[in-house]
Order: sequence, then C-alpha cells, then structure tokens
Amino acid sequence: MTDRPPYGGAPRWVKVFGIVVGVLVLLAVVVIAAGIAGPHGPGRHIPSADADRGALPVGDSENSAAPAGVSR
Amino acid sequence: MTLTPFLRKFWLTLHVALSVGFLGAVAAFLALGVNGLISQEPQTVRGVYLAMELITWSIIVPLSFASLVTGLVSSLGTVWGLFRHYWVLLKLLLTVLVAIVLLLQAQSIGYLASVVDERVLSGADHYALRISLVVHAAGGLLVLLVITTLSVYKPQGLTRYGWRTLREQGTKPRA
Repeated sequence: MTDRPPYGGAPRWVKVFGIVVGVLVLLAVVVIAAGIAGPHGPGRHIPSADADRGALPVGDSENSAAPAGVSR
Repeated sequence: MTLTPFLRKFWLTLHVALSVGFLGAVAAFLALGVNGLISQEPQTVRGVYLAMELITWSIIVPLSFASLVTGLVSSLGTVWGLFRHYWVLLKLLLTVLVAIVLLLQAQSIGYLASVVDERVLSGADHYALRISLVVHAAGGLLVLLVITTLSVYKPQGLTRYGWRTLREQGTKPRA
C-alpha cells in the first residue's frame, strides 16, 4: 500500500489573487465609508416616490439644480 | 454527466461567443457612459442614456446570464467540474459578482433614462450617479478581462474537493 501525498494547499497565484481582491475590497469599503463615492447601497438605485413627482433621489439633489431656462 | 466531444465543443463555442459578446457590450456601455458624462449637447446626453438602457436590458443582462449558464453546463459536463479547479471556481464567483452589480446598476440606468425622457439633463444633473455608472462599468470590464485571462491560461491548482475527487477516481492529481 502506497502513501499518497497530502493536499498541498492553494497554489501561490490563488493566494496572490486573494490578497489583491482583499485589498480592493478594503479600498472600496474605505471609499464608501468616507463618503467619497456618495451614497451607496440598493436604496440609492431605487428612485424615491418623490422622484416620480419630479423631485430627485435622496443624495443626488446637490447635483441636480437645473440651470436657468431649463424647464423640468 | 460528461458531454460528448461534439456537445462539449458546441457549449464551449456558445460560452466563448456569449462571454466575448458580454465583454464587448460592457465596453460599449462604458464608452456611452463616458460620452454622457462629458458631452455638452443635451440631445447627445439624452440619446446616450436611452441607448444605455436599451443595450443594458436587450444585450448586457441577457448575455451575462447566458454566459453564466453556458459556463455552468461546460464545466459540469466536462472533467473540469465546477469546484475542482481554482480558476473555474474563481470564474464562477466573479461572473456571479458581475451579474449582481450589473442588476443594481441597471436600476440606476433605468432611472436616468426615465429622467432624460422627461426633461433636459444639464452637465451637473445627477453627476454622482452618472460617474457611478462609468466607474462600475470600468470595474466590470476589468473583472471580465480577468475572467477571460483565467479562461485562456487555465492556471493550475486543484481545490481540496478536486484533489479528493481525483484521488478517489484513482487519477494522480497534477497540482
């Protein structure tokens, strides 16, 4: 009966890939937490009830002032 | 279940065609998004966001799910399996991630399309949302390029499950 070698673990490229993904996720969390990327989460993508009446979604109103002469 | 060589090539051809089409469609989406961000022409901006909504629902979303399904069939129907090799597993996880983010972004593009359909969008209108579309599209394109690279290079590396399965089958694992 021969001894089979044990599982050698994940190869190096998988570990490097995991570290890179971890760093990117951490970076994204920091950017979102710092508010640099604006409001996030599923609610941001769902137009509010006000939006249906011509108002703007929460968090985007600072960018939404219509210039003079532009009708809504 | 293992596919016959003919069916294996059929599903693989379908998977490659759909996946490459998906990548190209996201690249087109990104180009439109950048154009919508920098253009000063109201009619161009209007056309851009309407076109983005159109290609999102008629091309990008269908291609993303078709790519996922054909990938599942191709992996489960061949010796590669779905959980045996790290590159296949990572491809699956990244594709699912792209599909989830895509569906979230589809709501944003749908909202912007409804806005431009009703009124003129000025340069500052919904700027954060428009930048978000470009950033997410660029990120999605990058992830799809990583997925394509994994498919071409097929880097070695068995998962613990793959290692055990091959041992039970009496095949000597490669790595």
